[in-house]
Parts: sequence; structure tokens; C-alpha cells
Amino acid sequence: MSIIKAENLSYLYSTGTPFEIAAINDVNIEIEQGELVGIIGHTGSGKSTFAQHLNGLLKPTSGKLYIDGVDVWESKKTVRDVRFKVGLCFQYPEYQLFEETVYKDISFGPKNMGLSEDDIDKRVRMAASFVGLKEEHLSKSPFDLSGGEKRRVAIAGVMAMSPKVLILDEPTSGLDPKGRDTILGMIKEYRQDTGNTVLIVSHSMEDVAKMATKVLVMNSSRVAMYGTVDEIYSRSNEIINMGLDVPQITRVFMRLAECGVDIGRNVYTVEQGKQELSRLLGKA
Amino acid sequence: MVKDITIGQYFPGKSVLHRMDPRMKIVLTLAFIVIIFLCKNFFSLGVMVVMLAVMVASSKISIKLILRGIKPILFIIIFTAVLNIFYTNKGDIWFEYGFIKITSGGVYTAIFMAVRIICLIIASSLLTYTTSPTMITDGLERLMSPFKFMKNSVHTVAMMMTIALRFIPTLIEEFDKITNAQKARGADLETGGLIQRSKALVPIFIPLFVTSFRRAYELAFAMECRCYKGGEGRTRMRQMKLTKIDFLSVILLTTMCTAVVVLNIKFVHLV
Repeated sequence: MSIIKAENLSYLYSTGTPFEIAAINDVNIEIEQGELVGIIGHTGSGKSTFAQHLNGLLKPTSGKLYIDGVDVWESKKTVRDVRFKVGLCFQYPEYQLFEETVYKDISFGPKNMGLSEDDIDKRVRMAASFVGLKEEHLSKSPFDLSGGEKRRVAIAGVMAMSPKVLILDEPTSGLDPKGRDTILGMIKEYRQDTGNTVLIVSHSMEDVAKMATKVLVMNSSRVAMYGTVDEIYSRSNEIINMGLDVPQITRVFMRLAECGVDIGRNVYTVEQGKQELSRLLGKA
Repeated sequence: MVKDITIGQYFPGKSVLHRMDPRMKIVLTLAFIVIIFLCKNFFSLGVMVVMLAVMVASSKISIKLILRGIKPILFIIIFTAVLNIFYTNKGDIWFEYGFIKITSGGVYTAIFMAVRIICLIIASSLLTYTTSPTMITDGLERLMSPFKFMKNSVHTVAMMMTIALRFIPTLIEEFDKITNAQKARGADLETGGLIQRSKALVPIFIPLFVTSFRRAYELAFAMECRCYKGGEGRTRMRQMKLTKIDFLSVILLTTMCTAVVVLNIKFVHLV
């Protein structure tokens, strides 16, 4: 059974004012348990709105959404349940920190779930270790940490609820390359260790190509494509036509193929590029 | 609830009201409010209601939006009306039970008060609906220029107001964002008693204050970087000029005012 299933999901912003606009329009999709889905698309293509539907923050104007086989908007209880089943970490999550210590802030989610003190403690320590926070960090004030550390505390706050689906909206925006690699690495590790589904909204095609098992492309409020990384990037031309980017290395190999070099077009990580090149050179 | 607050919002447009000089609009809105308070009976109030209807129609803003502006204060209107029904003892008695007495005078006063409050709200929200915040503060600054002897303070106050108005939508957006983030972490804002609910707001207001302070510092920096040092010797990008529309609306409102006074004298009683 698929963990996320959307049927004709639509959402209108500012209904009844001159600014009415469809943020997502007739979205149909099924996402399997355990996938790492990269969601890509323009600013305003509906990525974030779609993400906010998945944990019941926004109520769809029309259409149905099933999480783990349960209709999210069936009753008040199902909406509250889904908040814990699907963990959503917003863009720039460091601005939501509020507690006196890092430990207390991470435990906010588990506390709201009504867990026992022991369980909360376990969850907090587990989440902290996933994001690489050390013991001495836990007693500090979150406002004394560096930007990257704050981001990790905020992500740990969502991980601590051990949601079946973890959604991260642009988890790496505004970080330096090192901070970005750290965060992407720990997300990958989190998924491998827990087997949970992870959705990453991202602008970086390189990151998506490197990490994701499936890619969801959104364009002007609709799902434009959904498939494996191979399937999606083999349609690079369509992606470029939508005004989106493909990984740099893919562009290089596409150009080479256009120039008549006998080379595979489906290259989207540097590692694959290396293999493809050595195959070609070995042959020659 | 935050979404219901439409007063202070601006809806861009090109209607007659949008094109009026902001200074004139502010003065006329104040005059309109004073005249509404001058009304002593339904006839004079009726004149102002008609006038307001004409203004709303000429603003090209949908009735739905205007009505939504009244929604947040509906409680106050009803409360005032009900109080008036019970506290006014004039005219015929329509209903009596123990100490409760409902008279025709009470009911009329209640309706009169409700209409008056609604007119006040619509008139003042019409000002902000059709005038951008910067235009309002520009207009206010110009109107207050006779108080120049208070040194720079006129400009400073106007600048503070511009900034405050400018950041209302930003704060609302920020509030929504943080609320969503905490809701996503299972914060329960909808159930519980008064104390529980106000406690649930702590995780929202602390980040909101932290961001606001940060933003204030950044804004001050950005302004200083562009050599902002107060109002002395500053010229304006937009010169304000009174046009035909402005003079016509003054004439119209003066006529209405005369009509109200005449009707007040002619029909002394409320009904």
C-alpha cells in the first residue's frame, strides 16, 4: 500500500478576493513507503503548498488525501494523527526555535504527542545523534548556536516525533557547501536507519540527482512528472523547457551527444560521468 | 481569525476614490465621521447612508470585502444595540416582563446606533482600502506640516507610521508561518481553556519577537547605509496636487452636511 495518495487535490488561495489563485490544481500521485522523493519546481509552482497538505495544515479546496490509507480530513482526530505521522520541516526552520535549551526545544514535538518522560528523553537523544548534536549542545540556548547548528536543532525537533514521512522544505537553503553536505548526509542516514519515507523540496538538481530514489516535478500548480531519477532526467529537454535546470554534468553529456560523441545521455552525477567516460576511453 | 482583519489593507485600483488626493481623503473621512455624529434622526442618517453607498459604488471594491471588514466588530455592534434596547425607555411599550421593558424608542435607538457604527467602520476602512499605506502617511505628514515648530518630530512620526504600516502584512505572514511550523510539531492551539490557550501562544510569540527585533536592526542598518538621517532637506518623489475630483467631493460633502443640519432641525425627533 502506498503511504501517500492524493486524488484530484486542489487548493485555491484567497477565495473571494481579486487575488484568487490556484496554488495546486488537480494533483494525483501515489508515493510508496521508504522512498526518498525529491520535489522540484519553480518558486510558486505549488511545491510548498503541496507539502503543507500532506500533514493536514491546509485543507484542500477539493479532492482527497490519504496518508497510510487513512483519509486525512475524515475527522478532527485523523487530522491530529496525521500531524505526528507526517513531520514537516519548513524553510528556514531555525526561526521557529523558542525554548531556553536545545533539549527542551527538541522535546516540544514528542511532548505534544503525550509520551512519557523516558520516551521523550530517548527520542530527543536519538534525534540529536541523527543530526550530529553533541551532549554539550543540549543544555545550551538555541539562540547561542551558529546558523547551521540552529537548522540542525530545528530538523531534530521534527525527527524526534519519528514521523513515518519526513518532509523537508529546502533544508539546505542559505547554508555553505559544507553545511549543506552535512545536512544531506544526515537525512540520507536517517532514511537508511529508520526506513521511513523522506520528501525533500529542493532547488538543487544536483542534490536531488545524488540522493533521491524518485523525482516529482511540479510546474504551474500541477504535477508535471513523477518517476525514478533515470526516467525523469532522461527527459532533460522537457525539464529545460519548463525553465528548470538539470545537473551541470547532464548538460555537458547532452552537448557531447549532440556533437556526435557516442555517449550515454543519462548521466546525472559526477560519479556516473566518470564511469561513462572511462568506458568510452577504454573502448577507444 | 487573522485573515478576517481587512481594515488597514489596500486594494489597488484606478477608481475615482483611488485617484483622489490622500490629504483630501483623510480630511474628508474625518469630516464624514463628524457629520455622522451630527445626525440626530433617521432622515439625516439616511442621507449619509446614501452618500456612503455612492462612495462604495465608486470605489469599485466588492461588497463582499466591505462586509468582511465588519465581521470582526459584529459582536460590538450587537452588544451596543442590545444595551440600547434595554436602557432606553421612551415611546410605546412593546414588551414587558418583570424589570425588562422594551420600548419603541429603545428599538429605534438600537437600530440607529448599529447603522451609525457600521457607517463609521465602512467609511474609515474605505480610506485604507483605496489608499496605499505610503500615501496615507505621506498625506498625514503633509497635513501635520504646520506643526513643524516641533522640529523633526513630524517627519519621524510619519516615518515610524509608514514603517509600522508596511510591516503589518509581513508580521501577519510571519505569524502564520510560525503558527504552521509549531502546529506541524503538534502544538494544539484550538482546544483547552483560556490559560491553556494563552500558554500555547508562547511558542509562537517568542520566535515572532526574535525575528521582529532582528528585522528592525537590519532595516535600521539598511536605512543608514543609504544615508538616511531624518527629514531635513528631503524632497519628495511624489508631489501631491489637488484635482477637480477633490474640489467636487468637497462640494458634495458640504452639501450633505447642510442637508443633515436642515433635516436635523426639521425633524427634531428620532423617528
